Amino acid sequence: MWLPIAGLLVGILLGFLFSVEIPLGIVKYTAIAILAAIDTILGGLRARLEDRFDLPIFVSGFFANTFFAALLTAIGDLLGVDIYLGALIAFSIRIFGNVGFIRRDLVEGYWRGLTRQERGSVFSGRQSP
Amino acid sequence: MVLSERTLRTFRVSRWHVAFALLLATAGFLAVTQIRNAVLIRQQLNVPPDRLQELAFRLRQQERNRAALEEQIFTLRDQLGDYERGVAQDQEKLEDLRRGLERLRILAGLAAMVGPGLVVELDDSPQPLRPGDDPNTVILHYTDLQVVVNDLWASGAEAVAINDERIVSTTGINCVGTTILCNTKRMAPPYRVTAIGDVESMQAALERSDGSLATLRGFGFPVKLARGSRLVVPAYRGSFRFSHATPVELPK
Repeated sequence: MWLPIAGLLVGILLGFLFSVEIPLGIVKYTAIAILAAIDTILGGLRARLEDRFDLPIFVSGFFANTFFAALLTAIGDLLGVDIYLGALIAFSIRIFGNVGFIRRDLVEGYWRGLTRQERGSVFSGRQSP
Repeated sequence: MVLSERTLRTFRVSRWHVAFALLLATAGFLAVTQIRNAVLIRQQLNVPPDRLQELAFRLRQQERNRAALEEQIFTLRDQLGDYERGVAQDQEKLEDLRRGLERLRILAGLAAMVGPGLVVELDDSPQPLRPGDDPNTVILHYTDLQVVVNDLWASGAEAVAINDERIVSTTGINCVGTTILCNTKRMAPPYRVTAIGDVESMQAALERSDGSLATLRGFGFPVKLARGSRLVVPAYRGSFRFSHATPVELPK
């Protein structure tokens, strides 16, 4: 687990080291894109915990979701429709949902692990069939 | 194969670890950049970033308004220029009218005039009346004044006044009891007739041997004649009234 956390820390560090200025006009869209990215990462984590993780889907989903979230919001603004708000609500719901599932998976896994350890099992986590 | 299976498993595990790490790095970088930008915007513009669109819209609106107002200013300035030119023209016309009016006032005797001329002073005769004498022979009559004024007009007077009462087109010289009425003013002797005009011509007309002054002198009235280079004839102070007469052709 140390590698993803290290990656997050490196990203945050890079963000502080390099100040990239986002043009005023697209700040709104990048905000939605970041929400989409967080949602995808949480989704990937959940899939990982639920043993249905697929790397290509995860990676492609990350980029596609961020890109389309920003694009749809921009198109919504062009059309004069607040897709921004829709995307905000949709991603918020998904993020909360994912957080909830991750929490449940983690708690379940923890309890199962405990029971397995009580049973004297060598394996832990959700890799065992 | 156990080793290879192990390595495969560790490889697989590290693969998703690596993917997560990279994507988390990306997301972290993006999030931090976004937050920093948002903070920057809030600090610099003092508005939350989600209101930027609305503010931009308002800005554009105001810019359009400003452009419209500027255009209005230009047209108004043009109009003002037109008006100023018009006013200048009007002022020229007004100046013409004013000059015309001034000329008419001078012609009507409504302006005080100054210039060279004669002053004729007439008075009742100082000769004592003996019993049986006709008092008319020692009293100046309005006709005497009329004759003098007529002589002055005939010999080139341009402005005439009797005792500072201007002779105008409607002036009559009349007798009211023992006084003389000129315009609406009663006068008593001595009478001082001031005339501006050709001095030589007027004097010659008055002083001729059978002229009005010679007759008056013959009857023993004290007559004084003086020249002046800067005589002042005052303006007519009365009013002109036309209750019955109207101009044949009304001025446009």
